[in-house]
Amino acid sequence: MTARADVVERAAAAYRALADLAETIEDEWQYVTDLTDAYMPSLEALAKADSGRPLPAGAAEAVHEAIAEIGLIADPHRAIDWLSTFPHVVALALGGDVDEPAGVEKPGATEPESDEPDDDSPFRMLLRRPDR
Amino acid sequence: MRFQDAARDARAVVYAGIQADPLVARLATLLAEAAASERWMARAVMNGERTDPQTWRRIFPSLFGEAAPAAVADHAERVLAASLEVANRGEQVRSQYRGAVVEELTARLLARRAGAVKRERRVLFDGIPAEIHPYDVTVESAERPEVYDCKWGARGINADVLNQLDDARAHAAEEGIELRVAIVVFDARRSAELRLDRSTARHDETRLVALESIDELAEAGA
Repeated sequence: MTARADVVERAAAAYRALADLAETIEDEWQYVTDLTDAYMPSLEALAKADSGRPLPAGAAEAVHEAIAEIGLIADPHRAIDWLSTFPHVVALALGGDVDEPAGVEKPGATEPESDEPDDDSPFRMLLRRPDR
Repeated sequence: MRFQDAARDARAVVYAGIQADPLVARLATLLAEAAASERWMARAVMNGERTDPQTWRRIFPSLFGEAAPAAVADHAERVLAASLEVANRGEQVRSQYRGAVVEELTARLLARRAGAVKRERRVLFDGIPAEIHPYDVTVESAERPEVYDCKWGARGINADVLNQLDDARAHAAEEGIELRVAIVVFDARRSAELRLDRSTARHDETRLVALESIDELAEAGA
């Protein structure tokens, strides 16, 4: 198992536990199920993103800390808040994308950039995909 | 159709105090200039359990790691500090601050392209009982009026909110006015769309603005 796959596997397990906690809010069971069904495959697909490349610096530690953060949650309402947040935090750390269903390419992802930020902008690294 | 200040009950007065807190304006200003990754950080921190800044710096290496440009890290540091100030309030208060921040961010982005941006306003129609809840943000242009409901999370999207927005749009249309209605969610577009997909309330003419695309509020023609 690659380091990336190992990190993603641990993140997916933590996400499942978070969903289990969130599901205890009966009125939101459907929403929690929809979120989990949508995000889990995208989260798992991060294991294949950038395959062959080493993890970005600090990525494994970042995901480890994010897992620790959601592991502290005891309030199921807050768990629901994190169901949509955690996958994006993990994707930012690993350099992937969870915006679309797994296996679906983001619209325009293969098109050349036409609105690149000014090279003088201090935020240019953040404004460029895939960080958008 | 006309706009009107909402009557202030005791709850509204308390909330107005939060809206006027300089922390809300400071954080909204920072978020208006932020990249998507900083906005995700702000959401995570303000939803978070831990309030130790070093923990959050480790969770977002693209913002605080060695490879991050100094200007990026500096801006992210200010977003982090302000977000932690919100997180350090008690649970009940932090949720009010989060809502106020989303409203202020929405108003500031809209103000980049529109003049008459107002807060906590009702929309009145002749012969139609007024809605109880005011709109969080309005653009009171004669040619192109707009109303916005702002939510911290997609979970805040419900039938009442959607019905109020669509009813306003429909009543305005009866008067020959194109009222643009939108819901702003400081959450993932995907989570908001899942919420909307399950709603039976009409929302096909209600625009969704999510965290990833919130800059579009400032764009002409948006």
